[in-house]
Amino acid sequence: MVSFSSLEFLFRFLPVFLGIYFAVPAKYRESSLLLGSIIFYAVGEPVFILALILCTLVNYYFGMEIWKLGIGFEIHGWQKKKRNSLMIQAVVLDTAVLIVFKCLAVFVDSSLLPVGISFYIFKMISFQADFIRGEIWSKPSFRQTAVYFTMFPQIVQGPIMRYHEGDFEHEKHVSLEQLEEGLAYFVMGLGMKALLADRLAILWKDLQMIGFQSISTPLAWLGAFGYSLQLYFDFWGYSLMASGLLVMLGYPFVENFNHPYASRSISEFYRRWHMTLGSWFRDYVYIPMGGSRGRKPRIVFNLALVWILTGLWHGNGFNYLIWGGILGLFIILEKLFLGNMLKKIPAAGNIYVLALIPLTWVVFAITDLKKLGIYFSRLFPFMGGPGIAVNQQDIITYGMNYGIYFIVGIVLCIPAVFKFVDKHKKNPITVLALALVFWASVYFLSSSAGNPFMYLNF
Amino acid sequence: MEYIKKCPLFIVLMGTGLFFTLIGMLGKSNIYAGQEYDPVTTPALALMFRGVNDDIYPWQILDGGSTPVMAVSSGQKDTETSAEDGTGSEGQKEAGISAQNDGQGENGTVGENDGQKKPGEEASPSPSPAQETDDAPLERLAPLRESTHDEYLNHISADIYGDAGVRRAAAYEFDKVDESYFDDALFIGDSRTVGLRDYTDLSDHGDFYCETSLTIHKVMEEDFGGKGTIEDALENRDYGKIYLMVGINELGRGTTENYMEAYTEVVDKLRELEPEAKIFVQAVMRVSGEKSDSDAIFNNSNINARNNAIATLADNRQIFYIDVNEVVCDEEGNLNAEYTHDKIHLLGMYNELWKEFLLAHGVLND
Repeated sequence: MVSFSSLEFLFRFLPVFLGIYFAVPAKYRESSLLLGSIIFYAVGEPVFILALILCTLVNYYFGMEIWKLGIGFEIHGWQKKKRNSLMIQAVVLDTAVLIVFKCLAVFVDSSLLPVGISFYIFKMISFQADFIRGEIWSKPSFRQTAVYFTMFPQIVQGPIMRYHEGDFEHEKHVSLEQLEEGLAYFVMGLGMKALLADRLAILWKDLQMIGFQSISTPLAWLGAFGYSLQLYFDFWGYSLMASGLLVMLGYPFVENFNHPYASRSISEFYRRWHMTLGSWFRDYVYIPMGGSRGRKPRIVFNLALVWILTGLWHGNGFNYLIWGGILGLFIILEKLFLGNMLKKIPAAGNIYVLALIPLTWVVFAITDLKKLGIYFSRLFPFMGGPGIAVNQQDIITYGMNYGIYFIVGIVLCIPAVFKFVDKHKKNPITVLALALVFWASVYFLSSSAGNPFMYLNF
Repeated sequence: MEYIKKCPLFIVLMGTGLFFTLIGMLGKSNIYAGQEYDPVTTPALALMFRGVNDDIYPWQILDGGSTPVMAVSSGQKDTETSAEDGTGSEGQKEAGISAQNDGQGENGTVGENDGQKKPGEEASPSPSPAQETDDAPLERLAPLRESTHDEYLNHISADIYGDAGVRRAAAYEFDKVDESYFDDALFIGDSRTVGLRDYTDLSDHGDFYCETSLTIHKVMEEDFGGKGTIEDALENRDYGKIYLMVGINELGRGTTENYMEAYTEVVDKLRELEPEAKIFVQAVMRVSGEKSDSDAIFNNSNINARNNAIATLADNRQIFYIDVNEVVCDEEGNLNAEYTHDKIHLLGMYNELWKEFLLAHGVLND
């Protein structure tokens, strides 16, 4: 798959695409984005591009049927009923497609899961529901709908933008200022991915190479924090790249992360982490189920359902279910009493989040339950004995090798730091720093990719 | 001027990008000639960044031109260029072991009596090529053939020695030893040896000069994270045993000949610096079957070919060849999948197998 942090994308696809996109008159921009997106997806998924196109056609058909029934000054009861039933049919169909592919991936072969399907199906479901929710105000054209579903900045890993957020009814006027702003976000994201996440990923790989039974307890904790930072900068970096691209193309910025590690509770964390997914579950599952209204058992049930679905959505392993379950459990506890308790003690919420979240990421990371058990026995050695062939000095080596990435990563987790950089994007020093970040990222991408002599070091 | 105000980052990136592309273009057939380059997927500027990663800097273009700058970086770069420029076999002859082969012609028979001497072997005792007695050191074997240009281009390590060297080295009867045997041992290696150091107690006994991504071409230059070079180590202390396991990182580079040439140089240098020490040439540990079957470079057929080459260095008196694969591989000869996570390195706890193997393969002075 073509990923944003690849030389092919940065120096082949993107310059050509941007050149064309900027050169054509405004009325052809949408078409060029659609064409570019289809090429982008087809390069990685020459077969499953058909599934994407088919889903787009079917969803547009349903959308239009629903739209037609909503025209007019007054909508009759029968029209409402018909609209709801059409929407439900479409949603069931979309969900079925997702489930079928997920099952194929679990029971047949993991290569049968089309790239990005979890994301584009969720967009399609929201598209149908948003007609009923009254969030789509003007009739979407086929081209607009197709661009919304397939647009290459979002097709692989989101963000799961809503249709109305795309501002599709306006022609896209591009400007150099927007290009500059989007580029700055893109470079920030690229740096987070290539300079932080990819470096920290080596630490996690090393722990697996050593075998969890042989890592010291301090190293196990370092690994848990390192993985937490890695995942964050990987995903936040990716989201920034995606939204940066959107801004370059004249679309609004879609926020997906809002400094989650500064949260004071798990529920707050997930309002600030992968925000478009969280709000999707809130708007299309939790609130339709009754949300936080009603009696406590009902609320507990709704929350549990949302978090089990969230777990299932993230992956095929049993560990994802445990991961979702644990998060659901703590969020329920927070709703019941823990939240109020934490508010009373200063800093307690932050400590609770920073201790608990890395542990949940460990559950997320290790798909083999036996290995997961071993890892926890190293985190908490009083539970699982002394380990095998543990090198007690390992923390020194790894601390020295990866310390710099931890320091930079932790600094970037402080909301004020990012906001400061964001505010001073135009400052010449920031510009030069960003240029440096870009070329440093390209250095790592060049030396690790496509070079048969250097692509691995043992 | 208007533009630089509106989109400074864009302008800076475009400008530097064009500049780096220019460097890549200029150096393409010059200092970067050794790199594989596919213009469809790779921008020319990547050549420059990869070059920097290989310690080849853009300004070397200036003193480049006709004289081969590659020699600065490593011998292997040199070879690649010449093979690229001329016809393959000629290029390899220049850089490879052709000097040895010239005397031997095409028939390529191997026999102990036929063994060739290399310069730098003066330090080794009794070069008498005559008869084989139990006491006489084994002669080095000559290769059966040369690597072909195709093998070079496809990163196939040719099995040019066959298993003659391995078989003769295996005839030696090793002694069982205890840990104190390693008190005067020096271990040299890449990340695999790092594992041996970190996850067994051998580091309480011997000294470890090992570094991730070490290659045989860098063994004598490396300063091992500030500890100093091997030469310094051998000057500061008298070692009785020197263990070497180097060879997986350079699998994609050069030919079996290049590897063997560099390896021979290292072994001869070590002998020169520490004539009394026993040198243990360790076979490169194989990778797991899954890795071997899916990787064009890091596979066991390439590893075995290179092991067959270095095995011929064993004289069974001062230089020994030992093969840890005997205890860490499955019936098919692949690294046992249960002993590794990443298909390449032993899990920490299984380095114990390697240590036990070394304990069973000591050489005691009689």
